[in-house]
This record gives sequence, C-alpha cells and structure tokens, in this order.
Amino acid sequence: MAEDKPGQAGDFSRVIVALQGMISAQLRHPQSAAGTLAVAFFLLLALFGPQLAPYPKANDQRHDPRVPPTLDIGAFQLGEHPFGTDRLGRDVYSRVILGAGSIFRIAGLGTLISVLAGSALGLFMGYQGGWVDEVLGRVIDALLAIPALLLALVLVGIIRNLQFEAGSWQAALADNVILLVISLLYIPIVARVARSTTLDIKTREFVEAAEIRGESKFYIIFREILPSVAPSLVVEASLRFSYAIFLVASLGFLGFGARPPSPDWGLMVNENRGGFYQLTPWALEFPALAIAILVIAVNLMSDGIRRAVQKGA
Amino acid sequence: MAITTRSLLDVERLTISYEVNKRWIPAVRDFHLRLRPGQIVGLVGESGSGKSTIALALMRYLSGNGRVESGGLLRFAGEDLLRKSDAEMRRLWAKRVKFVPQNAGAALNPSIKIGPQVAEALKAADAIDGDAAYDTMMRVFHDVRLADPERVAERYPHELSGGMQQRVTIAMALISNPELLIMDEPTTGLDVTTEAAILDLVRGLIAERGTGVIYISHNLGVIAQLCERVVVLYAGEIMEEAPVLDLFQAPRHPYTLGLISSVPKPGQSKRAAPLQSIAGNPPALTRLPGGCVFAERCAWAIDICRDKRPPLEQLADKRAVRCHRWEELSQPHPPTPSPRHQMPAIEIAGRGTTKPIRRPAPDAKSATEQAKSPSIAMGGDLEGGWQADETLLRADNLNKAFPVPRSLRELLARTAPSPIRAVDGVDLHLRAGRTLGLVGESGSGKTTLARLIIGLEERSGGKLELLGMDVRNHVRDRSQDVLSKIQMVFQNPQNSLNPYLSVRQAIRRPLIKLRRFSPAEADAEALALLARVNLRPEYADRYPDELSGGEKQRVAIARAFASDPDLIICDEPVSALDVSVQSAVLNLLAALQDEHGSAYLFISHNLSVVGYLADTIAVMYLGQLVEVGEARELFQAPYHPYSEALVSAIPVADPRHSTARILLSDDLPSAQNLPSGCRFHTRCPRKIGEICEREEPPWRPGDRGHLIRCHIPLEELTSLQSGSNPLEKAD
Ligand code: SF4
Ligand code: SF4
Repeated sequence: MAEDKPGQAGDFSRVIVALQGMISAQLRHPQSAAGTLAVAFFLLLALFGPQLAPYPKANDQRHDPRVPPTLDIGAFQLGEHPFGTDRLGRDVYSRVILGAGSIFRIAGLGTLISVLAGSALGLFMGYQGGWVDEVLGRVIDALLAIPALLLALVLVGIIRNLQFEAGSWQAALADNVILLVISLLYIPIVARVARSTTLDIKTREFVEAAEIRGESKFYIIFREILPSVAPSLVVEASLRFSYAIFLVASLGFLGFGARPPSPDWGLMVNENRGGFYQLTPWALEFPALAIAILVIAVNLMSDGIRRAVQKGA
Repeated sequence: MAITTRSLLDVERLTISYEVNKRWIPAVRDFHLRLRPGQIVGLVGESGSGKSTIALALMRYLSGNGRVESGGLLRFAGEDLLRKSDAEMRRLWAKRVKFVPQNAGAALNPSIKIGPQVAEALKAADAIDGDAAYDTMMRVFHDVRLADPERVAERYPHELSGGMQQRVTIAMALISNPELLIMDEPTTGLDVTTEAAILDLVRGLIAERGTGVIYISHNLGVIAQLCERVVVLYAGEIMEEAPVLDLFQAPRHPYTLGLISSVPKPGQSKRAAPLQSIAGNPPALTRLPGGCVFAERCAWAIDICRDKRPPLEQLADKRAVRCHRWEELSQPHPPTPSPRHQMPAIEIAGRGTTKPIRRPAPDAKSATEQAKSPSIAMGGDLEGGWQADETLLRADNLNKAFPVPRSLRELLARTAPSPIRAVDGVDLHLRAGRTLGLVGESGSGKTTLARLIIGLEERSGGKLELLGMDVRNHVRDRSQDVLSKIQMVFQNPQNSLNPYLSVRQAIRRPLIKLRRFSPAEADAEALALLARVNLRPEYADRYPDELSGGEKQRVAIARAFASDPDLIICDEPVSALDVSVQSAVLNLLAALQDEHGSAYLFISHNLSVVGYLADTIAVMYLGQLVEVGEARELFQAPYHPYSEALVSAIPVADPRHSTARILLSDDLPSAQNLPSGCRFHTRCPRKIGEICEREEPPWRPGDRGHLIRCHIPLEELTSLQSGSNPLEKAD
C-alpha cells in the first residue's frame, strides 16, 4: 500500500484504499471468500431476478400443481420445474429467485438507513458529550433493552391493523413497516458503536489540532473523526446486514412480513408447513435452504470483514 | 564483591530473526556479549536497534514469530541456554535469571495484592512459605527502599505510584537472589527524580549482591551513570563496545560520536551553538544496505563503506568497533566529514544534517534588556521593570479545578469532594520571540497550564491577555485572530496527524482556514513550509503512516507555523523521538524561531532539553510556580529546593560526572488534598521547620528577575547549595 499515492483525490481516498485492502484480505481467507462469493451470487439473483427466472410472473402463472423437482444434478439438467411446483401450481424455482430481490431490498435498505442514521447520531453524541450524550444514551439503552423480535412483532401488529387511506404517507409507512422496524432496532446499536469509537478518536491530538484552528463541529466530526471510525462502521454494517436478513426471514415466516402472494422466502416456508409439507416438501425445503445459505454466507463474509479490519487496525 | 574472571553470561554470534509476512527478517545480527558477576553492562540503542529483542532472546522469551538462528552461542554460568527445555528455563526464570520490564504497571497482576504476589515469586524460587517468606519480603522491600513496606504489601498494584510499582518489580526480581538480571528500560516513563532514586538503588544493590546486570536504555545519561561497559547497537548490529569512560571520552564509532554529541548537556544553550544531530533515519530491517548499516547517515562514509560490511574489530584496550575508518577517525586530526552532508537545505531535506544552523550571535542586547526587565514577573509588586510593549501573553492568577464526582457516601452526607486543583494561581508573562520553558514532574500541572492557554481546557478562574486583548476561555469562543496567533505542537507525533489526511492536506487546512488563502496559494505555501522544516516536496503527498516519528513531528511543526502564530505551545515535542532525531527537531525549532520571531512555551520533563531551548524557565510544582528565572540561572545556586532536586537528578551523559543526588520520595501529594503552607514541605530536604507547613512562602527576588518561592532567604540558599552544584563539577 506504500506505493499508493492518491494525492489530492480527496480526504476519503485513504478509506477507499483501506477498503480495497480489506477486500483482498477477504479473498485470501477461503471461508470468507466462499461467503462473499455466495453473497455476490444472491445479489445477482436479487438484481436480475426477473431476467433470470424462467417464469418472471410466477405468482400469477399456474402450472400443474405438486410437480416434484425436475432438477437432476447428476445429469446436469434443470428440467421444466427445477424445484417443482407448489400446491397452487406455481414454479418454486422462479419464486425462490424472485424472492432474493425482496429480502435484499428490505434487509439492505434497512441496514443502509440504520448505518447512516446510526453513525451520524453516534458521531454526534460521542463528539458532543455532556448532557446531550447522556440523554440520548439513556434513550438508546432503553430501546436496546426491549427484545428485538418482540418489538418488531408489536410494531408490525399495530401498524398493520391501522386503516389508512390508500396513497397517504401513513399507508406508505405501513407498507414499509419492516424497514421501519429494522431501522428502529439497529440505529441505536450502530449509534452505540459509532459513539464509543468516536470517544476514543476524539481524544487524539489531531482532533485537538483541528479545534485550535477553529474548525466547525461538522468539519471535525465528518472530516477528522469519521475516516478513523469508518472501519468499525463497515464491520458493524456487515454484521447488521446479516442480522437483518435473518430478521426479515423470521418475520416472513411468522406471517408478519411480506403479504401473500409475494415470493418471500420466509412466507413461502410458512405457507407450506404443517399438512402441506407432506404434499409438497420441496416447496418448503428450497426457500428454507436459500435462507440458510444466505444467512451463513453473510455471516462468513462479515466475519472476514471484521478480521480484515482488525488486522489492518 | 570479588572481581572474578569467571564469566556469567557468554553470548557469541547471536542472530535473531522475526517472521514478517512469511519472510524471516534478521533483526539482530552477530551479537556478542560477555558479562561477569557484579558487572553492569549497558545496551544503548534507538528504537529498532534490536535491544529489546536481545533481552527477550537472552531470556528465551521470544514470541512464536521470533527465533535464534543456529550457529550462535548463549551460555549462562557454563550452561548452554539454547539447548534447555522449557521446563528447565522455567526453573531458571524462577530463581537465577530475572527480568525487569519497562512497564511495571503491566507486569504486575492487577487483581492480586502486592504481598501475595511477591510471596508467590518467592515460593516459586526457594519454596519458602509462611512467616519466613514474609520476613524475607519485608527485608527486600526495605532494601528497595519502599516506604512503609507493611502497607505496600496490603495494596493492589494500581494503588501505587509508577515509581513504587517499579520498586516492587525490582524487589520481586531480587528476592530470589538471581545471578543475572536483565532490565529493559526500567526507568523510562518515570520522572527524573524517581529515575535518579531507582538508579541509585540498582547501583547499590548490585554492588552488594554481585548480580550481573544487563541494562537496556535509550538514555545515554542513564547508561553513563550506571554501567561499567557499554554496547552501542544500531539497526541490529554492535557498532561499538567499550568501558564506559572510554566510550564517552573517546568514542571511536561515528554513530557513537553522533549520539553523544546530540544530547544537550545540562546548562548547554542554543545561544552557544546548535546541537549536533545525525542525518536521516535508521534503515528498514527488510532493506538493509549491503555495506555498513550506518553508511547512509554517516558523514565519513566512503565507497568501501557502502560495498563491504565492516567487521567488529577487537581493539587493544578491551574495546571493539565496527567501522572501516575508526583508525583514521581516532587520529588527532581526523578527516573532515564528507561534503555530501553539506548540500543545500532542500537536497538534504528530511535528513536534518550536521549543517550548522544560522543564528545570530549571542545577543548582548537582550542580555542587558533582560537585566532591567524580567520577562516574567510575579504578583503585582514584583512587576518592576516589565514593559507592556514587550509582553505577548499575560496570564494572571490562572486556575483550573477539575471537579471530582461525588461518591455515594458524599451524596448522602451532602458534602462535595474537594476538586483537583491542577493549576492554582499561576501568573505568567511571555515575551514576544522568546522561549519560556516550563518544567516539573508529571502531576505538576504543566500540561494543564498549557491547555488553559491554548483553550483546550476551560479555566476556572484568572485572566489571559494576548497583546493586550482579552482571550476567551475556550477555543470555540475565540476569534479567528486569537486562534491564528496561538498554535500548538503536540507530544505524540503518532496521534497529532490525522492518518487519513496527506501531509499536504494537513498543512493546507490552517492556511485556508486561518489565513484565508485560496487553494492555489495554500498549495504553494504548504510546499514552502515543508521546505522550511527540511522536508522534500514529495513529502506533500505522503500519509502519516509513511513517515518516521521525526518526520511526523516536522510536519506537525510546519502545520503549527502555517498560521504564522506569535506563540507556539510545545508540549513535550521531542520526548517521543529517538535521541538522534531529537536534536534535529530542537535545532529546527530554534531556527524557525529566529526566522519567524514566534515565542514558544516549551514544556518538558527533560531539564537539559528545556535548558537548551529556553530563554527563561519556570518550575512548577503541584499547580504553582516555585521558581522563575533566566535559563542559565536554573543550573546554578540559588535554586528552589525543588529545582535543586530536579537538577541534581538529571542523568548526565558523562560518566565522570557525579553528583550528590538529592533524593525525593516517590509520593507526590494528591492535587485534591494539597499540603498546607509550602506545597513542597512533605518532600523538601531543606525544610526549615514548622513555618514551612504553616505559611505559604513568599516570592524572593534575586538577580536579573530571578524569583524563588521559599522561606529560606536567597543568600542562605546560595551558601547551602553552592557546595553541591552539579554543573560546576561537570565542567
Ligand atoms: S564504516 Fe564507513 S559508513 Fe560505517 S561508520 Fe565507519 S566510516 Fe561510517
Ligand atoms: S518553604 Fe520550606 S518546605 Fe518549602 S521549599 Fe522552602 S524550605 Fe522547603
């Protein structure tokens, strides 16, 4: 990295260099490399699901019901319905592919919102200190004391049962209630991480050097402190993402997530359990497998990111 | 102690490597050492010289990524240590070979009381237990002069001061009567007063017991005062080895010569001549040069030096030196240093060469001026000849009290704990273009005082005026004008630059922010500033992790000068730097002051460094000033009894120099619970009686604005102290 001279390319070029180092460190470790590749694969599915799925309109398109999977790994062929069809005759393979999009969108967007808002909040609290930090810190502690799933269930339950005028902002909110729940759950967690790292960084002498030339609070927080906090935020973000995926799948399974007939993995597992499982085991097994693989993959990836960051630190 | 020829430790051809990124890097090459019982051999070297690696290898403590290469010999009392199993080594560690680390606080187990901890060490060594163990422990505690040993045994490590902790680790090492003691920078990080006491202790104990000691330090003064022989290390190789007197009187190796002449002696001043310094930085161990490892920085390097590695030659008088040219250099008329080292400033940028720095002749004018007007005056009635137009900064009765949170009991009893009075009624006048040195032990409040002036800490009381303008309390409330006039150079170069900003960005910012330069102007000025701190223009695009400690500090200095300030506060700016780099930074500070006419408030625990750079010196003790005067006054009687102890404790890098040290107890009273009367009375060796405990001593004026706060009149102090002037003896 010594020969890397981004010159005046901006204050954050160093952060980018550090991230590049992290990615290459990631690839050197076989497990995290496998995890990262798997996540990348699911990301592709999420982005190009409608193009990749054989039946992009799988929700409405009905085939023969209860067709067993035609996937044959030995003969290397997918067949008509690789994962079979469910009891309503929908192609499970296409629905699993399409489901990637919804889980990534909700978990990813939720993570993004929590990391952005949480970091800003934590940086501010940490740098400001005093009673502001004290009060916000108590609020965060209170939020963290509530069990995550319980809070999620209560919130979703309440908001779902309210009746809103179609097209109003409340209705939009109700539609994105999971996003709201994720943010509410994770903003305090991210804020706490950002705050504690900020407390450490703000005593460094370069921050004092900025203070004695009269820099604004905004400048000090974002230009002087943020770059040094960024690595731990990246780790936290990847961790949050893996929890978010799990949470979204769990809510779907409990019936509090996406509503039928959307191709949500958790929902698909839920719809096909109990007596239906005897009829079409594949309609439950494949989405469940997808959830398991994605959760494990994201975990391996975030593990690798943490390792790389700690090594670099 | 009988002088024996039997050797205790024999080390030959020792090469130690570390594995870094799957490559084995030889960190120490071809190391030799011989130690007799009762002998103290010093290993001196800067960071990266391999001195600590050697200590670890001798103890066989090397971590998993380090190994001793085969072919070397390591024999302790006739036994081959390299062949010993781990179990055998553990038995040796328990009794015969002991190690005293630098950081005593980290070496002691924080969760076990001192008594049981030491008893455990004794049990492991001699299988002594119970009452006998307790008695032995008390005896050793007494030997290491721990005050009140019974109480110390009942305390936890964190309840002891740094000096006491170090005494405990020394006691733990000595309790088994070891034959070999390896001490790795045991006094680094302690105050001079404590350091002096511990050195005295080590010297006395070793003479009594006949233990062989390897003493590792970067501090030449400590080595000169303590050791019998000295080994000088550089980049993992022995440069020179000699009896201590010979080494300091007639160094044979250019590196040794450079090291010795780059440390300021007490009383040496920038007015006389700039310090010598060694150009450049040590080589990276991964890219060692083929020839002499010192060639790149050596002023006498010739072609052969760069091609052929010099052997360690044994000289007649029990010395050894690794240099091709030592014979020529030890002639009465040695060859002159190479002209390569006298290139124009930009070329040698970053190398802080031995080139003399232009400075005006010692100005007679200012001396007379000072005679009639003390630059610092205390209290109203003593202001005397002070004239307003000379004053840059004036502080009146500055105070800082840190509140202490109430404990539960105090909350219930509705009493408030007394605050920590870190700075308590300090008056200062700083003159434009001058340097005020501020000295004192840690805990004296000197750093807090500096932070009050710069505004990083809010003062609890008092007034601060800059050029007659009232200065607001906190930096956030200060005007741009005031901000640009006071800047600061911090202690730790590691933390003073933002790792994510390039050198250019770091220097540009104050130019744009405080001097309102356009980006283009700022770019040009940043390069000019870099040149002024002797860094080449390509440094502009480097990041802090690509710079050495000295280079970082240069950048920090350039950044402080960017706003063209009238006052720069330097808080221990060289204490984290290696000796050979320190002097270059001190020279730079002196030269920049000549150019810009900025005043410095220079804080250091190192009296020689302060004495070198400062025009006036203020001595601080427990939040108050106790002595103020011209720099050279500090080094001669009359002193304040506290300053006297500080000066006598300086480890002077000259083995012939010996002082009757004035030893102070380790215990600095708490600033929460200040002693009555004279604050120094609990430790003062010259205390005259009850009056010291009862009444605050008055300021007593001496010559040339010299002021001392003590109940003893100055004439009497002079006569008491003139017998024991450490510097007169040194000259
Ligand atoms: S061998 Fe040459 S370069 Fe090395 S110290 Fe001697 S004179 Fe200098
Ligand atoms: S006043 Fe008394 S205790 Fe204080 S320094 Fe003078 S002699 Fe010592």
